[in-house]
Amino acid sequence: MNIDEFMQQLSSSKGVSNISKIRKNTVKLDLTKEESLDFFVSIKSEFEHCSLISAIDNQPDFELVYHFSCMNQSIVVDDSNCAVMLEAHIYLKREAPSVDSIANIWFGADWHEREAFDLMGIYFIGHPDLRRVLLPEGFAGHPLRKDYVYEIHEEEW
Amino acid sequence: MSLFTACRSMAEWTAEYLLIPIFNFQAGLFPPFSNPAGSVADWLGTDGGLDTLAWTYAVNIAFMVGMTNLILVIHLERKIAARIQDRRGPMLSLRSLRELKEDLAGEAPTWKFKDNYSGIGIIQNLVDGIKAITKELIVPTKADRFLFTMGPIIFISSSVFLLVLFPLSDRFAASSAPAGLMVIMAAFSIAPIGVLTSGWASNNKYSMIGGMRSAAQLMAYEIPLLLSMAGVFLLAGSFDPVTIVEQQQEGTWLFGLPMWNIIPQFIGFIVFMICILAEVERVPFDLPEAEAELVEGWTTEYSGIRYMLFLAAEYIRGFAGAAVATILFLGGWAGPWPVPPEIWFLIKVYLIIIFWIFIRWSVPRIRTDQILELGWKKLLPLSLINILIVILMVEIYPYFSNIITLPEVF
Amino acid sequence: MAEMWISMGPQHPMTHGLWTLKVKVDGETIVDADPELGYLHRSVEKMGERRKYFMNTTLTDRLCYASSTTWTHCYTHTVEELMEVEVPVRAQYIRTIMLELQRLASHLMWAGAYMPDLGHITGALYFWRDRELFLNLLELPSGSRLLYNFIRIGGVKRDLPNGFEEKTERILKLFEQRLDEYSDLFENSKIFRMRTDDVGKFTAEQAKNFGITGPNLRGCGTKFDLRKHDTYEIYEEIDWDISTREAGPGYSDCFSRYMVRIDEMKESVRIIRDCFKKMPAGATLASRIPVRAHGEAFRRTEDSRGEAMMYVVGDGSDRPYRWKIKSPMFTTMSACPHYLKGYKLADIPAIMGSIDICIGETDK
Repeated sequence: MNIDEFMQQLSSSKGVSNISKIRKNTVKLDLTKEESLDFFVSIKSEFEHCSLISAIDNQPDFELVYHFSCMNQSIVVDDSNCAVMLEAHIYLKREAPSVDSIANIWFGADWHEREAFDLMGIYFIGHPDLRRVLLPEGFAGHPLRKDYVYEIHEEEW
Repeated sequence: MSLFTACRSMAEWTAEYLLIPIFNFQAGLFPPFSNPAGSVADWLGTDGGLDTLAWTYAVNIAFMVGMTNLILVIHLERKIAARIQDRRGPMLSLRSLRELKEDLAGEAPTWKFKDNYSGIGIIQNLVDGIKAITKELIVPTKADRFLFTMGPIIFISSSVFLLVLFPLSDRFAASSAPAGLMVIMAAFSIAPIGVLTSGWASNNKYSMIGGMRSAAQLMAYEIPLLLSMAGVFLLAGSFDPVTIVEQQQEGTWLFGLPMWNIIPQFIGFIVFMICILAEVERVPFDLPEAEAELVEGWTTEYSGIRYMLFLAAEYIRGFAGAAVATILFLGGWAGPWPVPPEIWFLIKVYLIIIFWIFIRWSVPRIRTDQILELGWKKLLPLSLINILIVILMVEIYPYFSNIITLPEVF
Repeated sequence: MAEMWISMGPQHPMTHGLWTLKVKVDGETIVDADPELGYLHRSVEKMGERRKYFMNTTLTDRLCYASSTTWTHCYTHTVEELMEVEVPVRAQYIRTIMLELQRLASHLMWAGAYMPDLGHITGALYFWRDRELFLNLLELPSGSRLLYNFIRIGGVKRDLPNGFEEKTERILKLFEQRLDEYSDLFENSKIFRMRTDDVGKFTAEQAKNFGITGPNLRGCGTKFDLRKHDTYEIYEEIDWDISTREAGPGYSDCFSRYMVRIDEMKESVRIIRDCFKKMPAGATLASRIPVRAHGEAFRRTEDSRGEAMMYVVGDGSDRPYRWKIKSPMFTTMSACPHYLKGYKLADIPAIMGSIDICIGETDK
């Protein structure tokens, strides 16, 4: 499957908008929070590897960026053996940000989600073991948020 | 003149001219009261007293010889290891010298051999000992204090006991028990009790696993070890080291060379060498103290001189193991005339130890299940085959009596 | 013996850094495991948000002390994409040479650290002796031994010094001889094979799902290398192959990971030689390097340990708004309960050593 065909195929999925090609091998799209899990299940056969989940504090809202990598050459970029990547953005509200967990689909997403929870305070619903991973248990607050001030949380911890 | 005879005459001399006068003088200091010094002087005059004194001398000499060897072995291990590993500095091997010239700068290396090498590095071992003595002896709070202290004592005492059991030659022997080798093997198998004790008493999971591994390893290797020795005992008809060595001289081989046990019982020799390596817990069989996964195994919680005693005991056991191998398979102290037999014995022992050091620094450690599999499934059948070969050899010997000569055993 | 939890780390010979592996053992067999991180967390991402773009290269150098150039390169490469900077061709060649030298040094560091895990102290000293040669080489252009800060946004700090090519060639020749010598000591050794064969197995499908990349994935037979499949710098023009293991004995286990790294070192030698052959003259730093950036960019590169990835968001100021680092070891370690289960206690160092842990990049 060519990458352009793949983009056309994506446009028919539910909850997907703003599909664009940001590099010759990367497809970028926006997802709604509600439809995300169904969409991720549907692309699992092509994208076997979850590269990265990054959380961004856009003030006031949060943004989750998923990067998936296609390793089995089921999607090709013409005239090269370039591996295709998919970049999915999900926008979340500031109050109790939560999204469906994909740790059961890609095991590699497990700790990425834990890290996003740890440093940015995003809750992943259905995650098997949502604990802090880099910071110690009992640490107060989520330090990568832009409104995090250490002095406020100093005494709590 | 044997060691004991020499010690006996030394004891007679010292008792007569040194000890008895001293004790008599002490007894005469306070005449109105009974003084034990007088009875000691009387006892030294008897045969039993002189024998005891002679034994003390003999054991002390054997102990000193053993300890000197211990320091030499540790020094040898350090030097050879440094050369095998091609460490930077004065240990750098000559081969690297050639390669270093092709190194980055393309110039001559910046180091040179010490031109005043005097072998003084052997003092490093003494310094290590002094350092260990001055360190604090830490006992973990929840450890079993009594057993924790007893562990090193059991381990080192059973190892030092080994030193007086094997003879350096037929004349240089502190003891000459008729069942000598059996006593040596019995003393060898006391040490794992110390290992288990200290492993359990440390109240540390690594230590306990190390102790358990040691017990499992002992179980797996003691049996093929003794079975591989059985062939030698069958040929010699005795457990006495002196008899075994003499028996090896009786048979001849090609060109009239003495037929040491290594030639007819090569399988037994191989099995014995592997088993004794496992028995003294050296690489690749040092599982009980595998530092990669068990930190330091059963010695994890020990510090100071207690830890150093474990280390020293391991080298003593290594030395004793090499000595047993020499007696059993390599003709003991036998060798051409101008070199005294004691030196021949030590040469053979040191060759085995150097072989072990080479093994230690060039192979990885094997795994617990693999070591047990090797012991039960390979070494045990091989040692039985060895016994079978010995029995067949003795049975078919009469047909080849004009080619080789064997001692009459059965 | 009943089942019990053993805590390995944070101070333990197996860990190669500061982390804890809690293992549940039944006798000597591993039943369960639970890795714990965070002892070395230096909040690099948070620090990066307070610093200007060009200042962050000092932080990326310190992500992994064993392979600092690759991480700095990953960062600068991403920022160059964000700022749309064109890197001169000669700088790309110099970068490739530095990256491959760093890969050699990193793999040698790994091999040296792996041998004591198997109880082979001599192997450590042999491999570290050779690593020293490459550290010397890396020191020549950059001026420091471990943390180079040589690759800058828009190119490299300075051109290669005089005589660098001859010195490199001399060392590469010596190194190739030594690798051949080591094959007798390691991969042809029966005991080494006993320890590494059929230990720590995972299939290629599992590995992709676990997020395992790099040499560990190629050890499972997957021919996937970002230098070819998401190519960067001048790897396209260089003549080299991806090193993998075919199915058969020593496949997708510790031994295959060892062999893949050894083969990769040989490939790196090829790449460096080819780079010197094809290197053009020219500038080593872009003429126009902006200070501010707007938008978002991500790039992934083939680190010595797998897929290194950075995602940078700029808000028009001279500091990154958000800077996310993807460490290949982070996900690889997260899966360790899966590939440790069922093996013996003595296999833990053999397995965890074979995946090449670097805690600096993992904890960020």
